[in-house]
Amino acid sequence: MRLLYLLLLFWITPVYATDTEPPIRFGLTAVVLTENLRFLDQWSQYLGQKMGRKVAFVLRKSYREVMDLLDSGGIEFAWICGYPYVQRRKPETLQLLTVPVYRGAPRYHSYIIVHHSSPYKRFSDLKGKIFAFSDPDSNSGFLYPLALMTERGEKPETFFRQTFFTFNHAETVQAVSEQVADGGAVDSYIWEYLAVFRPDITERTRIIKKSPGFGFPPIVFRLGVNGNTVELMKNTLENMADESTGRMLLDQLKLDSFGQYSDALFNEIRSMANTVQRTDSKFSMLPTY
Amino acid sequence: MPTFNPSSWSLAVKLSLTITVAVAVVGFMIGAVMIVQDWKRFHDVLGEKALLLSESIAITTPKAMLRNDHWSLYLSLKNMTTRRPGTKGGHEIITAMILDAEGRVQAHLHPANNPMGLPFLPENGFEQDLLRQAMNARTPIVLSSDGFSKTGFQEGVIPFFADQKYMGVIRVRLSVAQLYEKAKNIAIIILALIFCFVIIGSTLGTMVSRRMVKPLTEVTRGLEAVGRAEMTDFTPIPVNEKDEINRLSVTFNQIMAELAEKKMLEEEIAMSEKLVALGRITAGVAHEVNNPLAGLLNCIDTLRKNPDDKELIDRYLPVIDQGLHRIKEIVHNLLVGLKIEDGDQTVSVEHIDKLHDLITAEIEDRNIEIIWQNDINKNLHIPGKLEQIVCNLLKNAAEILPNDGTIIFRMYQDGPYLNIDVSDNGPGISSNIRNQLFDPFFTTKPNGSGLGLWIVYRLIQNMGGVIEVISEKDQGTTFHVAVPVTTTQAA
Repeated sequence: MRLLYLLLLFWITPVYATDTEPPIRFGLTAVVLTENLRFLDQWSQYLGQKMGRKVAFVLRKSYREVMDLLDSGGIEFAWICGYPYVQRRKPETLQLLTVPVYRGAPRYHSYIIVHHSSPYKRFSDLKGKIFAFSDPDSNSGFLYPLALMTERGEKPETFFRQTFFTFNHAETVQAVSEQVADGGAVDSYIWEYLAVFRPDITERTRIIKKSPGFGFPPIVFRLGVNGNTVELMKNTLENMADESTGRMLLDQLKLDSFGQYSDALFNEIRSMANTVQRTDSKFSMLPTY
Repeated sequence: MPTFNPSSWSLAVKLSLTITVAVAVVGFMIGAVMIVQDWKRFHDVLGEKALLLSESIAITTPKAMLRNDHWSLYLSLKNMTTRRPGTKGGHEIITAMILDAEGRVQAHLHPANNPMGLPFLPENGFEQDLLRQAMNARTPIVLSSDGFSKTGFQEGVIPFFADQKYMGVIRVRLSVAQLYEKAKNIAIIILALIFCFVIIGSTLGTMVSRRMVKPLTEVTRGLEAVGRAEMTDFTPIPVNEKDEINRLSVTFNQIMAELAEKKMLEEEIAMSEKLVALGRITAGVAHEVNNPLAGLLNCIDTLRKNPDDKELIDRYLPVIDQGLHRIKEIVHNLLVGLKIEDGDQTVSVEHIDKLHDLITAEIEDRNIEIIWQNDINKNLHIPGKLEQIVCNLLKNAAEILPNDGTIIFRMYQDGPYLNIDVSDNGPGISSNIRNQLFDPFFTTKPNGSGLGLWIVYRLIQNMGGVIEVISEKDQGTTFHVAVPVTTTQAA
């Protein structure tokens, strides 16, 4: 009989997601390749198991839509870009949870890419050409090239002949590789990720400029979310590198781990955003909805 | 060496060739119509597909254009025109583009050569014309390349509007290359089938025509045998069916059997006629030689009994001499009649005229008028045999005439024939003996040998000429002779 109780104890002990509680909603943006649905299923399952609650990934086309969800309480956590993270909200609605560690540091770059057969060698060569931005709320895919133009006293509408947004770093790479655009700005993490899984696309592009390191797109939580849940999510993510399934999932993400870093990690982005905002040029660039 | 003159080909060959050509012409015409129809149908279907693709792209285009969302425009163009792996029946997209109302590229399937925001630049005049048609289109149209070519295309052109305002045009161009291959393969299959039909048709045609023509060939062979007078060697044509040609074969077999029978009868008749003639000659010789022989033997017998009776000798020797000469003459005439040689000696026309004197002497003091009309040039030469013919006919006329009468001699040329008429106004020849006139030893004269007219007949026959007798009772007789001769100039 004791054995039976013991077995029952073990039966109940593992933490499984239950259907009674609403799921934890986790917003994803184009900072990660959201097309790999099987991987996302595995990851959400993993997080659910560890947290004892179902975790659902919420996918949206643009960063802005995810940010709106955060603001409106539609999601609890989100993996967003450093640029929307540093933008001031009144009142503030989100807070830094953890930062992915990529190739040994919580940093990444913006790549200015051109078609591999094109003659362009410097960013200035792209003057008067067609340029593809990733997302208007992307640091690497929009803010950085905007800053490059601001340094030169230029605006996108004067510097380029034509610009468009792909709302997806991977599609920016595609736009350049297929010569729809002469140049584009992408997240180095995405480009490198593609270089492993879709070399046929990245081989047709060439990096002509690599930005200084920026704070890697962080994972944030909405202010107001239960402290235990926040803590549980933080621990779950930061402990992934310590056990095999977690490592396997991190391998697939091509990340080393998740770690705790201070808000100062994003100071470069913050200062760049301040510089650019003063020029007020970005708003004329945005696609009209 | 084979002849290529169709008129000399056999009916079997002509019939089979005609059937083959007819089958081939009909087959190839049907095939050509099928191929053209197929090609047109494929072409129309391809045009509809191009339009459908353009229409699908047009659904999202106006909104994306209004948003300046060039990437979405490009993606919709690319996604719609990219064949998903594993799908069937797709067609190669040559190009696709979205142009705004001013003709500027908003999205192009080949963006490297057609940068967005710049006017679309056609490669040549033809493309320029197509662009003009596309930009002027306000309803969906299909633009086509001309002719049956691998590089042809069908282009679906859809103008698109926002709130009835013309915003631009979508052009999707599909290659006919796959259709071309498909049409070519179908054409090859059709042609191969037609070729098979032609082979089968011509083989059947040949078999049928041979079967049909075989009895005709046999009839022809039979008729050729008739021409060579070899009816008896003819093998009857086998008859299996009851159609017209086989009925002809049956009739022909009957005719050939009757002809063979007739020929055998004729040969038998000819043989018996020969025997009759031989018997007549033998009897004639026996009779003509035997008569004087009996007298001669009596004379010799009498002289042997009275060897010293000079009177008897003087009386009988001339008789014996006359009898022997008579026998010699008969034998000579027989030899002349039987052994006529193809001698080509000629005599001058004057020799014929000398016969006038001879017959005048023959007439002696009888009151017979001779009318002599020779229209042949005196200096010409004619075959020598004519002299004897004329002589015999004149002597006959002189002998048949009573104490008075008229003999008319006339000689003239008519084309290649030399004509001689010898007429008398004597008692004529009765019709019952007219058939025997030229038989040897047939005579109505008491002292005639019956060989004169026979020799005339034999000579004329030898020369390839004809002799004709025109006679009426108490009205006289005319012998008309016509022989093919070439008169020669006397030397």
